[in-house]
Amino acid sequence: MKKIENKPEVLAPAGNLEKLKMAIRYGADAVYIGGQAFGLRSRAGNFSYEEMTEGVEFAHVRGAKVFVAANMVTHEGDAKGAGEFFKTLQSIGVDAVIISDPALIVVCFNAAPGLPIHLSTQASATNYKTLEFWKSIGLERVVLAREVGIEEIREMRRHTDIEIEAFVHGAMCIAYSGRCTLSNHMVNRDANRGGCAQSCRWKYDLFEMDGGALTSLLRDDEPFSMSAVDLSMLHHLPDMIDAGVNSLKIEGRMKSIHYVSTVANVYRNAVDAYCNDPEHFTFDPAWDEEIWKVAQRDLSTGFYYGVPTEKEQLFGKPRKIPKYTFAAQVLSYDSETHIATLEQRNNFGVGEEVEFYGPGFAHFKQTVRDLWNEDGEPIDRAPNPMMTVTMTVDAPVEPYFLMRKK
Amino acid sequence: MIDIIATAESYAQAESLLNAGVDTLYVGGHPFGLRLPQALSLEEINRIICLAHSYGKKVTVACNALMHNEQIGQLTPYLSQLAEIGADAVTIGDPGAIFVLKELGLPLSFIYDAGTLVTSAEQVAFWVGQGASGAVAARELTLTELIAMQQLLDQPIEVQVYGPTCIHQSGRPLLTNYYNYTGNPGQVDKPDGLYLRDPKNPDSQYPIFEDQDGTHIFSTEDLSLVGQLKIMHDQGLNTWKLDGVLLRGERFVQIVALFDEARHAIESGAFVPESFCNRLAKLQPASRPLGTGFYLKNPEDVH
Repeated sequence: MKKIENKPEVLAPAGNLEKLKMAIRYGADAVYIGGQAFGLRSRAGNFSYEEMTEGVEFAHVRGAKVFVAANMVTHEGDAKGAGEFFKTLQSIGVDAVIISDPALIVVCFNAAPGLPIHLSTQASATNYKTLEFWKSIGLERVVLAREVGIEEIREMRRHTDIEIEAFVHGAMCIAYSGRCTLSNHMVNRDANRGGCAQSCRWKYDLFEMDGGALTSLLRDDEPFSMSAVDLSMLHHLPDMIDAGVNSLKIEGRMKSIHYVSTVANVYRNAVDAYCNDPEHFTFDPAWDEEIWKVAQRDLSTGFYYGVPTEKEQLFGKPRKIPKYTFAAQVLSYDSETHIATLEQRNNFGVGEEVEFYGPGFAHFKQTVRDLWNEDGEPIDRAPNPMMTVTMTVDAPVEPYFLMRKK
Repeated sequence: MIDIIATAESYAQAESLLNAGVDTLYVGGHPFGLRLPQALSLEEINRIICLAHSYGKKVTVACNALMHNEQIGQLTPYLSQLAEIGADAVTIGDPGAIFVLKELGLPLSFIYDAGTLVTSAEQVAFWVGQGASGAVAARELTLTELIAMQQLLDQPIEVQVYGPTCIHQSGRPLLTNYYNYTGNPGQVDKPDGLYLRDPKNPDSQYPIFEDQDGTHIFSTEDLSLVGQLKIMHDQGLNTWKLDGVLLRGERFVQIVALFDEARHAIESGAFVPESFCNRLAKLQPASRPLGTGFYLKNPEDVH
């Protein structure tokens, strides 16, 4: 009977403490976060040391890990304070740091010996000798470049035993990560120091030089674009797992609670289903249905099965993907009265079709039949952000179940 | 000592470049060298090495690609052959290639060249610790930063003083994909070039081409530090690279000769930057504006 020797972890992004907790409640084995410095997401909610401490405690109690991304490419002087930073992370109990800059790797070795280091995808590791190199330096894990194929990962696994982390879901750079400075040159924002302006997603004119003059090559007014659709390996998790990937990474430290909880929930459920019984594994269409509820762009398998074609880029008018809104979070539930207490996150009201979901891939849909405010007065709608309301639910819920609507 | 490095597209151009005063020729071939004016075979590289050595000059061979498993597998014989034919150095941007070089124990020195990723002295020191004899600085650095880096290092920092710089490398065939989407096949590498323009910046024209390594986009201006060469020299930045990836033939040789002349003028105390700027402007193709990129910006201006 086929058995999964090394069950991979599901690794989710967490832009803040609330998202960290939600990702772990919804099944992430590990989360990655950013600190106040040395990261690449200057606009993501980043963690203070106090928040990190709380996050690490929360994670460790539940058997989950916390990694901190410090993946900026430093210029002269930028690494100042990094030693103190890594030392503090180590004392907080952070499980690993994600670094691409060798200057920061050295600082980390010296300041926090024993703190595991993962090579960031920004370093574009694309072959097994590179993995062996970083292993020889003392790194514990390499996050692969998004440009590698499944076959290449299999071959890497045959050549090296360093831990392999690979992206399975989320937005993609159209360039080799780290090898794009469009933002630097176009808007003076350093892509490798957290300033990426996503210039690749802009529209461009395309010309050829013809006898010293430029002639437009644009066809049918369709601008030239380099925007990639998003990655999803949900349908191919057995391939990723069998190839020997140790960590399945979900992109998106800027993404919402709705997104993170949904994607973590789906991948948790699918990975468990395959690893528990690989021989009888079948794909559950509900996973697919669920993942599309938070999709922001079309989804593709990136480079895993070949070099992406025009179908994996965004041209023309984007296809309309039905949007779901995060409407409320469950605070408590009374099993005798079937009444749930909710915290509002977006306007909703009586008569609307809503859907509850919770950890362990729990799901049900219902119509909002009734609604009361905090004083127990019946109301039609819940218009105020964060207001507490109660309503009758059709099936049992638990705190931290979330409610979405179309 | 000032070291002038220039790309060579052929044996004939290599000879002209040596006569123009180049100290180190930079050549390479597929699938290991990135963004070269012309991919050369080992045989051609061998001939150029023999030629350069007969002039008492050096040849560095490009092995700076981001390598996939297949390439890294082919790299071992390639490096062995380069050592055998007497290449003076290779450029490497992929740590896997360094690992292979170490395993082979070849008497071949390497210069770390990872494009946008070489931005501090501490990084270079790390690669020196792994055997690098120097490093190619990212073009996104300011002169202030480059000088600070060089002052912290014994090994030379190679600074691009002329030519376009790559600002984006994708593993995808972006031009082919565009042509396929619009249903009109087109060329991906035209002799006079293809350009992108940011509609918000009507003067911009970013060269773009596609090859085996994917798609490459270049800066809208050709970098030129001809006016700053004396300052560079005074501050210890003496390794100057001229990149002819988009400028073929004799014109590039003339520009290299101008930089050699500038070197001699600096050494003899007769350097007039304005004069050299003026002469470079006359040699420069009209379709490619010159600029100083990030070199003269304040480090704080780029975030």
